[in-house]
Amino acid sequence: MIRKLTYMAIAAACISAIGAVSAQQNQVIVTVVKDTGESWFIRMAEGVKAFGMANPGVTTSEVGPGKADAAQQLQVIEDTMARKIDALAVVPMDASLVEGVLGRALQRGIVVVTHEASTEKNTMVDIEAFNNAAFGAHMNDRLANCMGGKGKWTSFVGSLGSLTHVQWADGAAANAAKKYPDMVLVNPKNESFNDANTAYNKAKEILRKYPDIKGFQGGSAVDVLGIARAIEEAGLVGKVCVGGTGLPKDTAKYLESGAVYGVSFWDPKDAGFVMNEMAMLLLDHKPITDGMDLGVKGYDKVHVSKGPGKGLLVVGSAWLDADKNNYKDYPF
Amino acid sequence: MGLYVAARLVVADHSHEQEVVRMRKALSDGQLNFLLAINFLVLICAAVLSSGQFVNPYNLQSMASQMPELGLLGLGVTLAMISGSGGIDLSGIALANLAAIVGIMLVSRIVDTNTSPFLFTCALIITTLAVGILGGMLNGLLISRIKLTPILCTLGTQLLFTGLAVVLSNGSAIRMGYVGPMDVIGNDTVAGVPIDFAVFVAIAAFTGAILRFSPFGLRLLLIGTNAKAARYAGIAEERMLFTTYTLCGALAAMAGAIIVARNSAAKWDYGSSYVLIAILIAVMAGVRPEGGSGRVICVVFSMMALQFLSSTFNFFGFSNYFRDCAWGLLLLLFLASSRLRVGNLSFRRARPGISLQR
Repeated sequence: MIRKLTYMAIAAACISAIGAVSAQQNQVIVTVVKDTGESWFIRMAEGVKAFGMANPGVTTSEVGPGKADAAQQLQVIEDTMARKIDALAVVPMDASLVEGVLGRALQRGIVVVTHEASTEKNTMVDIEAFNNAAFGAHMNDRLANCMGGKGKWTSFVGSLGSLTHVQWADGAAANAAKKYPDMVLVNPKNESFNDANTAYNKAKEILRKYPDIKGFQGGSAVDVLGIARAIEEAGLVGKVCVGGTGLPKDTAKYLESGAVYGVSFWDPKDAGFVMNEMAMLLLDHKPITDGMDLGVKGYDKVHVSKGPGKGLLVVGSAWLDADKNNYKDYPF
Repeated sequence: MGLYVAARLVVADHSHEQEVVRMRKALSDGQLNFLLAINFLVLICAAVLSSGQFVNPYNLQSMASQMPELGLLGLGVTLAMISGSGGIDLSGIALANLAAIVGIMLVSRIVDTNTSPFLFTCALIITTLAVGILGGMLNGLLISRIKLTPILCTLGTQLLFTGLAVVLSNGSAIRMGYVGPMDVIGNDTVAGVPIDFAVFVAIAAFTGAILRFSPFGLRLLLIGTNAKAARYAGIAEERMLFTTYTLCGALAAMAGAIIVARNSAAKWDYGSSYVLIAILIAVMAGVRPEGGSGRVICVVFSMMALQFLSSTFNFFGFSNYFRDCAWGLLLLLFLASSRLRVGNLSFRRARPGISLQR
């Protein structure tokens, strides 16, 4: 028994003996995403890496949970904070749930930048790729163009809790009501729960309920995939317009077949790069001004306003469109 | 009755010699030693690799304050597993989220957070606990009276609780805003110890004491070991199961209260990965899935080992996919270790033939 207690004491002594801290030379910026395995965030990691390559003296990396779970993301942020880092760039699962941990990070003197979290209070700068209502209106203009400005249409969202998706759908509805009086919105904001299969089933239901529907606008990036499958199976390619948010590579098959006329998106690589750029500016105590150039297309003339907390809200105009002709230019 | 009295006598004996024997016995618990060894091993490796940074006070505090949520759920699963006959609680995190959501929504309607933060905090904790206990009672009723299989019953109630939480919160996160005392519970330290961790240790100690020293604990172990014999010994099985699952609900609610304290918000899908990890914690702690055995102190150390490991991976920026793989490996290692006598590192001979032990 005594021997065992001695072992334990020795082990404890060992641990406390290693308590020396080594100094770090480089500035460290860590980007925390929702799920490192998603193709969206794999693309974002390229931007994070590119920033690190372009700026010697800065170490950048992207980390995140293996499952899209807010609780696991919180743990990743906490453990990342515990090592000596200078700045955090976070794409939160849910803006409200990370308020506590980001507050602790700010208290610790860590620079905090967020993305896709325009309601975040505990951040120094939140960067949005674009104004969400304007993006919704833009997608709606493309849909109207395909539909010839008339007929029944509907919108999809990942979930009613996904603020950005709801803003896109609302922006699109407002745009259609204003510009296209012959377009009739039916059954708006169908929830796909970010699942192509759910979107497929919902689309089939809608086709049964409104056989004369002419347009679908997807919200989450996988919505168009499910809707397009339903349209193809119903033999309605060319008769019903499908478009919305989506990634060129994933949608390639349906862009080729014509089931999807086009997708709109923003490049996560640019978002990753700009988040790190912003963190760097904050670390160097440079001013953030309206209309400034962050060095990436779409973020070359950003709109800066006061955020919901003490921080700033920085909005670019970085949306991109892909259709059958140019989707090959975007490798994601 | 005979079995019951005999077991009581063993526990009731408190002579000094027995105490020394028990102490020696406690240290010769293979599972506990193994868990302690793993804890130290991970801690030392991480400390060396990070040249000391991993064991700086901030990281230790950060890891400690991350433990309670999962630890409390692990305790709930442990209690359910000990009760035997396939006992398990899959509804823990769903109930925790529901309790937290109901707590915030109800209390912030009645009490103003700015003028009376203390009252708010007390009311929130009481409401959360009440919801948790009600949910636990529902599980208890279904399992003890209607005799549903625990795994199916709690799977059903898990969906029910999640569904209720979605409907109530309309699918989005419910914010509490800043409430002083809640913030202290979630984020402050006393003498370097995070308060939420201290709360967790206190609850674990209390649960451990119940299991070890109270008649309830003894009866629970007996029911788990052999339900039929326990019934013949005059133990009211139904009431025992009902109480056990109610306790599980209370533990889940406390996890919910801590989630609110730390994040100042609650959401229906928070911690969706916790269901399986809570079971992993219990199994790693040597709680037998067939019931009848398990020690709370082992649960605490198994939680700690998982936390150290997961924090190590995050600290060094490893992919979290690798972490899942490592946890699976760890689970297999622990299952194997029950066949391995840790003292002299020799393989225990597998029991020949059909085991009648049950």
